[in-house]
Amino acid sequence: MTPAIEVRNLWKRFVLRHNRAETLKSRIMGVFDSRLRERRETFWALQDVTLSVQQGETLGLIGPNGSGKSTLLRLIARTHYPTRGSVTVRGRVSPMLEIGIGFHQELTGQENIYLNGSLLGLSRREVERLYPAIVEFSELEDFIDVPVKNYSSGMHARLGFSIAAHLDPDVLLIDEALSVGDEGFQRKCQERMQQFRARGVTIMFVSHNLRTVASLCDRVCLLVHGKVEALGPVDAVVSRYQELTAAMTSGAERMLGPELSPRSGDVL
Amino acid sequence: MLNDTLRYRDLLVALVATELKVKYRGSALGLLWSLLNPLALILIYSVAFQYIIRIQIEHFTVFLIAGLLPWGFFASSATASTVSLMVNAGLLKKVHFPREILPAATVLFNLIQTMLALAVFLPSLFVLRGSVPWTLVFYPVVLAIQAVFVTGVALGLSALTVAFRDLRHLTEVGLTLLFWLTPIVYHISMVPAGMQAAFRLNPMTSFVSVYQDIAYWGRPPSAGDFLVLIGWAVSALLVGWTIFRRRAPYLAEDL
Ligand SMILES: Nc1ncnc2c1ncn2[C@@H]1O[C@H](COP(=O)(O)OP(=O)(O)O)[C@@H](O)[C@H]1O
Ligand SMILES: [Mg+2]
Repeated sequence: MTPAIEVRNLWKRFVLRHNRAETLKSRIMGVFDSRLRERRETFWALQDVTLSVQQGETLGLIGPNGSGKSTLLRLIARTHYPTRGSVTVRGRVSPMLEIGIGFHQELTGQENIYLNGSLLGLSRREVERLYPAIVEFSELEDFIDVPVKNYSSGMHARLGFSIAAHLDPDVLLIDEALSVGDEGFQRKCQERMQQFRARGVTIMFVSHNLRTVASLCDRVCLLVHGKVEALGPVDAVVSRYQELTAAMTSGAERMLGPELSPRSGDVL
Repeated sequence: MLNDTLRYRDLLVALVATELKVKYRGSALGLLWSLLNPLALILIYSVAFQYIIRIQIEHFTVFLIAGLLPWGFFASSATASTVSLMVNAGLLKKVHFPREILPAATVLFNLIQTMLALAVFLPSLFVLRGSVPWTLVFYPVVLAIQAVFVTGVALGLSALTVAFRDLRHLTEVGLTLLFWLTPIVYHISMVPAGMQAAFRLNPMTSFVSVYQDIAYWGRPPSAGDFLVLIGWAVSALLVGWTIFRRRAPYLAEDL
């Protein structure tokens, strides 16, 4: 079987810009006054990540805040680019990166459905065909003509998931997107994801809800400080994460060791 | 590449429609509002230059319109392009698509507005003048070359403004200066001889002069004129594209 997602020796470096010089003015002032100068520090959000997800497989991604889960999904969705290494994805990707997908706040729900369809490469005709199902699934019939800026975060998530879930994706990326929906909608989304699994869609799924992860995923990857700490069967990886969390909360952070510190410390 | 372009043609249309909706939401007149700004400028400059300053140009309003509408295309595209990536940060952060479509949609939207203004004002221009110069057949060609030029400027400005946010205000100030340095409300021959060479370094001077030739003087542009315009268009596109390509991969993380 060919993998649907292949991540090879992936490194991602962000430049943390303290006192960020966002304007020409501040850039020029920095020349004369060193206190105003921008200080740059590099930060490795992902370090040598290698993993592959088989076609039809659901991979869970867990780890503490700031461990690089969202960054990894962004690189797979190609909104961000690798510093080193490569990402290969086969098929159409439906990304749901954090709350909502690419919404234009001034547009209504309906207009956003069309805009998002074309953003993801669908023709207008294809979106027209999918439109009724998207609206029905989102249960937002009464709000579909309202600008998205007036939606609650739960409504954002509903519309976002409904669009992502109806675009007939080969690969579905979901980043904590379901956690803001209400109980009923979360259950509906999980059912939908089970349908996708049955249909052979490849899913990468970030969640802090370990029970959901356990019920939906075939394998789990644990990221810590941008590195793959564990990758394998659900039970083993989840209990490894729980051990780690317990160790961290009991103050024994030394367990992780200083070599896991993500800051390379080199100042640009 | 071509495949991509076809695939994202619907996206370009959707983004142009978005600009239209966001700008004219809730106004029955919609796009017609976009005629108000040129109309006001035409009235003000006509009165000021014909009756107050008493400029020595026959059919001054016709002369003014010939240069003012293409200037408007350039200036409004440049202004809008400075924010075209920033207002769409939500889309850039969440979905992968060719980033250059955003400034391209901004230019296309402004081109449509300009063509609407041309459709309304060019005919009225000949009522004032009494005849239609045959040289108007060159208009679409010159407009197409200008659109390439404007696209280059928009690509460069949109990407640079993400790094330098105050470029947006600098652009507005710069455009006001450049307007008076471009022979739109006066003729290039009125510029002191010693300064004319410097004026010709301004690409908009070359474009506006050719527009005045074909819409006011009824003079066909020379091959040399076309070469200069194409030269400006290709250079702007090359520079703008180079700047844009370098920044494009980092737009989602910088915004
Ligand atoms: N655009 C960015 N610029 C600088 N640092 C970033 C950027 N995006 C993410 N980071 C940093 O990368 C690290 C990983 O973030 P993220 O992938 O969002 O973690 P997670 O989703 O696992 O909580 C964090 O420390 C975050 O501050
Ligand atoms: Mg995250």
